[in-house]
Amino acid sequence: MPVYRHIYRPYSGRLTPAWSRSLVLTRYGLAEAWSSKITIALFTLCFLPVIVSLFGIYLVNNPLARVLLGAQRPQVFTIDAEFFLHDLQAQSWLALALASWVAPRLITFDLADNALPILLSHPISRFTYLLGKFLALFASLSVVTWIPCLLLFAYQGYSSPGAWASAHLGIAGGLFLGAVLWITLLSLLGLALSSWVKLRVVATGVIFAAVFVPAGVGAVVSAVLRTRWGFLLNVPVMMTLLWQRLLDAPGISGADLPTGAILLTLLLVCCVCLGVLNARIRAREVVHG
Amino acid sequence: MPRQNGPTLRERRVHPPWGLWWIQGRRLVRIEVRRNLFSWKAGWIYVLAFTPTLILAIHAGMDARSARDIEGDTEVLARIVQLFYLRLAIFFGCLGIFSRLIRGEMIERSLHFFLLSPVRREVLLLAKFVAGSISALLLFESAIVADFALLYLPFGGMAWTYILNGPGLGQLAAYLGVAALACLGYGSVFLLLSMIFRNPTPAAMVFLLWETINPVLPSLLQKLSIASYLRHLMPVAIAPEGFFALLTVETEPTAAWTATLGLLLLILAVLVYACFRMRTLEIRYTTE
Amino acid sequence: MTDRIVLDNVSKFYGEVLGVNRVSLSIPPGITTLVGPNGSGKTTLMNLLTGLVQPSSGSISVLGLSPSNSTGFFREVGYCTQFDSFPRGLTGRQFVLDGLMLHGMSAAEANRLTAEALARVDLGEAAGKRIEGYSKGMRQKIRLAQSIAHHPRVLILDEPLNGLDPMARAESLALFEELGRQGMHVLISSHILDEVDRISDRVVLITGGYLVAEGDIHAVRTEVRDQPMQVLVRCDRPGLLASRMFALDHCVEARLQPDGKGVLLRTGEMAAFYALLNQVAAEGLVRIEAVAPADDDANALYQYLIGSEGSAS
Repeated sequence: MPVYRHIYRPYSGRLTPAWSRSLVLTRYGLAEAWSSKITIALFTLCFLPVIVSLFGIYLVNNPLARVLLGAQRPQVFTIDAEFFLHDLQAQSWLALALASWVAPRLITFDLADNALPILLSHPISRFTYLLGKFLALFASLSVVTWIPCLLLFAYQGYSSPGAWASAHLGIAGGLFLGAVLWITLLSLLGLALSSWVKLRVVATGVIFAAVFVPAGVGAVVSAVLRTRWGFLLNVPVMMTLLWQRLLDAPGISGADLPTGAILLTLLLVCCVCLGVLNARIRAREVVHG
Repeated sequence: MPRQNGPTLRERRVHPPWGLWWIQGRRLVRIEVRRNLFSWKAGWIYVLAFTPTLILAIHAGMDARSARDIEGDTEVLARIVQLFYLRLAIFFGCLGIFSRLIRGEMIERSLHFFLLSPVRREVLLLAKFVAGSISALLLFESAIVADFALLYLPFGGMAWTYILNGPGLGQLAAYLGVAALACLGYGSVFLLLSMIFRNPTPAAMVFLLWETINPVLPSLLQKLSIASYLRHLMPVAIAPEGFFALLTVETEPTAAWTATLGLLLLILAVLVYACFRMRTLEIRYTTE
Repeated sequence: MTDRIVLDNVSKFYGEVLGVNRVSLSIPPGITTLVGPNGSGKTTLMNLLTGLVQPSSGSISVLGLSPSNSTGFFREVGYCTQFDSFPRGLTGRQFVLDGLMLHGMSAAEANRLTAEALARVDLGEAAGKRIEGYSKGMRQKIRLAQSIAHHPRVLILDEPLNGLDPMARAESLALFEELGRQGMHVLISSHILDEVDRISDRVVLITGGYLVAEGDIHAVRTEVRDQPMQVLVRCDRPGLLASRMFALDHCVEARLQPDGKGVLLRTGEMAAFYALLNQVAAEGLVRIEAVAPADDDANALYQYLIGSEGSAS
C-alpha cells in the first residue's frame, strides 16, 4: 500500500479582495508605462503650457505687473473662460500624445508576447483586466489634464481679489467634466486600438491617425456634400465645441453641431472601443472549467 | 554548380555589376509590391486613399443634376488634395508603407532573409524604397484621378471644356506631380526614421508638427520640410482660414522648378544617408 | 581564395553586454560543432560570421570573403538561422524560390534548384502550402532548404535540429554528414550533442563569450589533462584486467560492467595505459574483444570544460 506524506499545503493566507485586484494590474501598468524615458519626457512637456499659464495668472494678479502691462493691453491677460478653454485644449492635445505612447505599452506587450492567457488564467476576469489597464491610463492622463487645470483655477481663485472662484465655479466644473470626457474617450480608444493592432510601433501611429484621419474625412464630407454633419467624424472639432459649451466660452470653432449629437457620437465611439476590447481579450481568455 | 573566384574589390569599383543589381532590384521590387498591395493588412491604405473617392461617388450619384459651380468644386478638390491627401492620407499612408519596409520586417523578424541574400544592402534599400513608392503612387495617384473624374464628369460638356480647353488638365497634372513628390519625400523621410528609431511614430509626429509650423520658421529652416516645397507647386490657391492657413499659405513665392529640384535634392540627401545607415544595420531582434 | 573561415581577435559588445570576446579561429572544411550553454555567444558568433551584426573589433573572413561584400559572400555562404519567423503570406516553395531569384539566376534554374532543395529536406507536398500553417519541424526544414538551395560552400546552421522528430533529425544529420564529406564547411551549433558528435570533425567550445577550446575532438580531449580519460574494455575477465591495470599509477578508477563482460577504466596517461593493455593482451591472460574511449566526445568535453556553468541536453 503506497504511503502518502501529506506535506503539501495550499496557500491559506490573506487574499486581495476581488474588487481591488484590478488595482494590482493598474500598479504594474503604471510601472511599465513610466519605465520609459519618453513617457517622462512627454510628461514633462505636458507641464510647459501649465507653467506659462501659471505665470500669466501671476502677472494678472500682481499689482506691479498689472500697472506695467495692464495699462497698455489689458485684454491680453484676462483670466476668463476662454483662458481656461485654451489651457484645457493645450493639455488635452498633449494628453493625446501621452496616450498614444502609454496605451500601447499597457496592452501590446501582453498581446504580442502571449502574456494575456497567463494573466487571465489567474482569478482575474476580462473586466478586471481591462479596468486595471484603463485606470492606469486614466490616472496618467488625469495628471496632465483636469488636475493641473483645476490647480490653475484654484491658484487664480486664491490670487484674485474678491470671490472670483465662487463666481466662476462653472468653469471648474466645465474643466473637470470636459477633461474627464476627453481622457475617458482617449483611454478607451488607445486601449482598443492597441489591442487591435498588437504591435506597439504601429499602435502609436494608429492612435494619432484614428483622431486626425476621420477629421480629414469629415472635412471632405462637409465640403463635398455641403453639410455640417461631416464634423461628426471630426473629434477635434467636436471636443472643442463641447469644451466651449461646458465652459461657456465664446466660440472659437467655425463649425456648429448640436450637443446631443456630439455626445451621442462620443458614446458610440466608446461603445465601439469597448466592443473591440472585449472581442480582442475574449479571444485570449482561458476558459475556467 | 560551377565555381569561380569573384571579382576583386578594384574590379568591382571599376566595373560595378549594374546588370545584376538591376535584376536583383526588379525582383525585390516585385516581392515588395506584392506584399504592400496584395495582402489584407494593406487594406487600411486602400481605405485611406479611396475614402474621398467614395464620398465623391455618393455625391455624384446623389445630386449630379443639381446646380453646382465648377469654380466652387475646383476649390473643393484643391482642399481635398492639399488638406486631406497631402496632410493626412499620404502622410499616414507613407508612414505605414515605408516604416514597414525595414522596421516592420525587423518587428516581424524577417529582415535577415534579405540581409543574407547576395544583394548589396544599398540595392536592397533602394529597391524597397522604389517598391514603397510604386505602391504609394499607384494608390494615391489613382485615387486623385478618380476624385478628379467624379468631381468634374457630372458637369457633362462643361467639364470637358474645362478639362481640355481650360486649366483642368494642367491642374490634374499638377496634383499628380505634387502627390508623387509627396510620396517620394515623405517616403524617404519615414524610411530613414524607421531605420533610426525603434518606434518611428513619435518622430513622425514631431515631423508632422515641424511640417505644420514650418511656414512661421526662418527661411533656411523652411528648406528642411517637404510641405514647404509642395506648397509652391499647388495649382489652385486656397484662401487662408484660421489654423489651416499654416497648411496652405505660400510664405516665400518660389518657381515650380526650383521647388521640385529642391525637394528632389532633399530626397536624394535623405536616401544617401539611409544607404549609409543600411551598411551598418544590425539584426538584434531581441531589442524590438 | 583561402579555404578557411577565419576570425581574428573578434569581439562584440552590445552596449555594456559582452557578446563574444577576442575570439580567434581558423576553421578548415568539414563539420565543426559549436558547443556552449545558452547565452554563451554561439548565435552572436554565427551572426558575426554572416554580417548580421558587426564586430566591435577584429576581422572576419570566410573563404577570403568579407560579409560586407554581400554579393560574393552570400553566393558561397548559406545560413540557417534559429529565428522562427518568415516573410508573410509565402508558401514554402515561394520562400526558397524568392531567395534563389535574388542570386540573379534564370527562373528555370531557380525552379530546378528549389525543387532539388525541397527534395533534399523531404518537405514533399507541404512546399505548396503557406508557411504560416507549418509545424515547427517543417519550418525548420524549409529554412534549411533555403540555406542549401544555392549550393553554398559554407553552411552555417544555428540549432538546426530543434523541433525535428527523431526520423527527420537522423535525415538532417545524414545530409550534413554528406555535405561535410563533399568538402563543404558545415558549422553547426546544437544542444543535441550526442547526435552532432557522431558526425563532427572538430569542436569549438564557447562559454560566456570566451573561446574555451577548439580543434579535433580527440585532440581537445587529450589536452584536458585534469580529467582522466575513460576507456571501456570488453573482455572475458574484467576483474583480472582491472587488477593488472591498477598497477599503473595513472589508473584511478575501474568500474566493472553489470554484465560481467567489461570494465570501464579511468586513466591519466593514455600512452602507458595502452602499452600495458597490449602487454596484458599479449600475455593471453585476458581475451580482449573491444577497446573504446568512453568520454572522447563533445558531450564529455562539454561536461569537463563548461560543466556546471551551462547545461546541454
